[in-house]
Amino acid sequence: MTGATKEKFVIPIGPQHPALKEPAHFEFSVDGETVTSASVRFGYVHRGLEKGAESRNWAQAMYLLERICGICSHAHSTAYALGVEKLAKVPAPPRAQAIRQVLLELERIHSHMLWVGVAAHEAGFETLFMYSWRDRETVMDILESFTGNRVNYSANVLGGVKYDLGEAQAGAIRQGLDYLEERLHYYMKIVTSDESFLRRTRGVGTMTAAQAEELGAIGPTARASGVARDLRVDAPYLLYEQFPVTIVLGTTGDLQTRFVVRIQELFESVRMIRNLIAHLPEGELTARFPRRIPEGETISRIEAPRGGLFYFIKSDGGENPARVKVRTPSLRNFMSVLVGSVGHQLADVPMILSGIDPCFSCNDRMTVVRRGRDGAISEGKDPLPRSRS
Amino acid sequence: MKIGSMLGEIVRAVFRKPATVKYPFGKRQPVPDRLRGVIRYDPANCTGCTLCMKDCPANAIEIIAVDKPNKRFIMRFHADRCTYCAQCVVNCRFKCIAMSNKDWERAALTREPFTVLYGRDEDIDKFLDRTNLEPPGDKP
Amino acid sequence: MSMELETLLKLLVFPGGLTLIALGLLYEYIDRKLVARFQNRVGPRLIQPLADLVKLLAKEEVVPAGVIPLFFVSLPILALAGGLTAALYIPLAGIAPSFSLPGDLIIVIFLLGLLTMAVGLAGANTADRFSILGATRTLTQLFSYEAPFLLALLCPAILADSWQISVVHDSLIGQIWFAALPLWIGFPVAIIGLMGKLEMAPFDAPEAESEIVAGALTEYSGRGLALFRLAKDVELVVGLTLVSAFYLGGLANPLEFLLKTLGLLVVVAALQALFARLRIDQTVGLWWRIGALLALLQLVIVVILKGVIL
Repeated sequence: MTGATKEKFVIPIGPQHPALKEPAHFEFSVDGETVTSASVRFGYVHRGLEKGAESRNWAQAMYLLERICGICSHAHSTAYALGVEKLAKVPAPPRAQAIRQVLLELERIHSHMLWVGVAAHEAGFETLFMYSWRDRETVMDILESFTGNRVNYSANVLGGVKYDLGEAQAGAIRQGLDYLEERLHYYMKIVTSDESFLRRTRGVGTMTAAQAEELGAIGPTARASGVARDLRVDAPYLLYEQFPVTIVLGTTGDLQTRFVVRIQELFESVRMIRNLIAHLPEGELTARFPRRIPEGETISRIEAPRGGLFYFIKSDGGENPARVKVRTPSLRNFMSVLVGSVGHQLADVPMILSGIDPCFSCNDRMTVVRRGRDGAISEGKDPLPRSRS
Repeated sequence: MKIGSMLGEIVRAVFRKPATVKYPFGKRQPVPDRLRGVIRYDPANCTGCTLCMKDCPANAIEIIAVDKPNKRFIMRFHADRCTYCAQCVVNCRFKCIAMSNKDWERAALTREPFTVLYGRDEDIDKFLDRTNLEPPGDKP
Repeated sequence: MSMELETLLKLLVFPGGLTLIALGLLYEYIDRKLVARFQNRVGPRLIQPLADLVKLLAKEEVVPAGVIPLFFVSLPILALAGGLTAALYIPLAGIAPSFSLPGDLIIVIFLLGLLTMAVGLAGANTADRFSILGATRTLTQLFSYEAPFLLALLCPAILADSWQISVVHDSLIGQIWFAALPLWIGFPVAIIGLMGKLEMAPFDAPEAESEIVAGALTEYSGRGLALFRLAKDVELVVGLTLVSAFYLGGLANPLEFLLKTLGLLVVVAALQALFARLRIDQTVGLWWRIGALLALLQLVIVVILKGVIL
């Protein structure tokens, strides 16, 4: 079937497609059932959040940025709070940092269990989907009894947290974690031994460590290929130096390893939460925070469930942020999909796509890049007034 | 290498209660104490500092001074804008704002219930007379 | 006059026509409810399949551009007609088939295959990428599941020395042990063949929701979709009746009919909940090898039994 007259069939996946939970436009050129090339186009969920943060004051902007993503909302909120606290030179008290860390790990559990269900759904394994989401309700109930809401916990304030971890909450968390750990063992067993599932995931979307480095993958996607990159270990924030986490690495880099890596990360999270609750530092929950943040720029990076989340925050001394730039981890993993899906069957493409845990509403930011007459490349926004008289 | 490894689970699941609840006809789980429902405003200690107004990310709160020297304030609350973030609760130094954990089913068929006036009755009446407005929505 | 009235009643009310449609909806409900309970969910209400049918019939049917309108409108009717006609030759509801002629096993198999071919044609007719892919997959799966299914159904027919369903059925009534023991290899082949023909999970690659939207039926809406879904339900009943009549020792009366077909439905529902969806090359590859071999093995056993013992 070779020759110049090969039929090029372009399958569009998106913007509306049952495989995608959010709109994005993928175009796969197929020959029969085999993919020959792929391209992607984003921007369908662009909401102008970075611009919106500039017209709100520092406290309001935090709630706006928290809603960039529903699954990693606390990660966004914490990254922003850490950055602003760095700028204002008012660190949050240790108890608040520990509570933030507990919430981050709880959110990781929630996010990875959601992903297990969604990826199983893409594979047609509805039963695993329903069961993992049923057990995810345990985490949601813990979070609701702790912070008052199931998603968008709004637990952060600038300078600390709102909610204390008392004995009642600690007891509920421990109980929930015991149940979850037992279920996670079961899911690990299913993911590594169920034959029909292995047929769909073994050898699919394989990415070597060298390829992962070259394509810039981060998060569990890269760790499944053997790239040991985890911001909790490379650049510890909050209390990760006192309560360290071990990096979970995989070797084969295919879809099945990504499942295994994520579930093992959950065991790590469960262990860390238990450790934190047992050794929670005493103290206050918030520190007094100024309304005007001194001038400066800072970078804040934390490890969201999908990889490293990057915030650039710039203040010009006023009540509103001057510039907030967000780079979410999903954006960096898409190249691995485009390169990794070539040569695979079309039926594997939704699996490969869901293997990187895409979060499209996270990554729809916009930048205008202008190439000046002298060849200099500048970001296409009006420059801020530098001098104030 | 196992075929049908979930068999034990699914057979057991038939005899368990389903995990889904037939809302609103089924029995609902009790809500936790810290649930962030609609806010409640107590004007007794309010000094009109409007910190709650300033930091509300959705501009859902308006503190209206009915009689400023005598510290009589009422709050016009736009329930359809509120994101239930509890920043106002944290900001208020005199604990005038609290979040209900019972009132969380807020769907309505018209827009009127979403603009709520909180405060003492005589203050609200004075405000409505002054502005000749119809009382918007229910007074809780 | 009464002869024709009786025939008309047999065709339209019982056991064909209305009763068959009602049975189809009932079996769809039981199937969905069982799968839901296996997944620890609540599942639909009893009248849900009827509600779905009525809702779809009430909606506007959109005929997309680029199709041959005659085919687009008539293929669903053809599919349903195939299912309804096939039911006339099988012992539905445990009573003797309404019509019977020599060789009607082949006729029934062909009529059941008409549904899948109608779906495939409907998909090929549409100018939409997803439909064409779905049609390709449907027809590919048809090839690989039809042959073992026919072979599996052939084995009891060989034991009974006839290709006429009523004759085979009469010889198998009450003979569950005699019939079941030598035929136990063919039984799973028949069940899995049935699931493949009906495109039930895990063999639902032709209508894989997360890959190609709805496969061949993507562009269908309103009446066409309602008729296709009804045809699938009817084929479910017919298929279950055939398999339980041939492999579970015949259906002597309505009670046995209900018990045996529902028992088989429980097994089918459990199989639906247990596995991940197989890719189209995996379903075809798996079944051309294992299914065909098992069916052939069963055939050999039956022929030897026939020649040596009986």
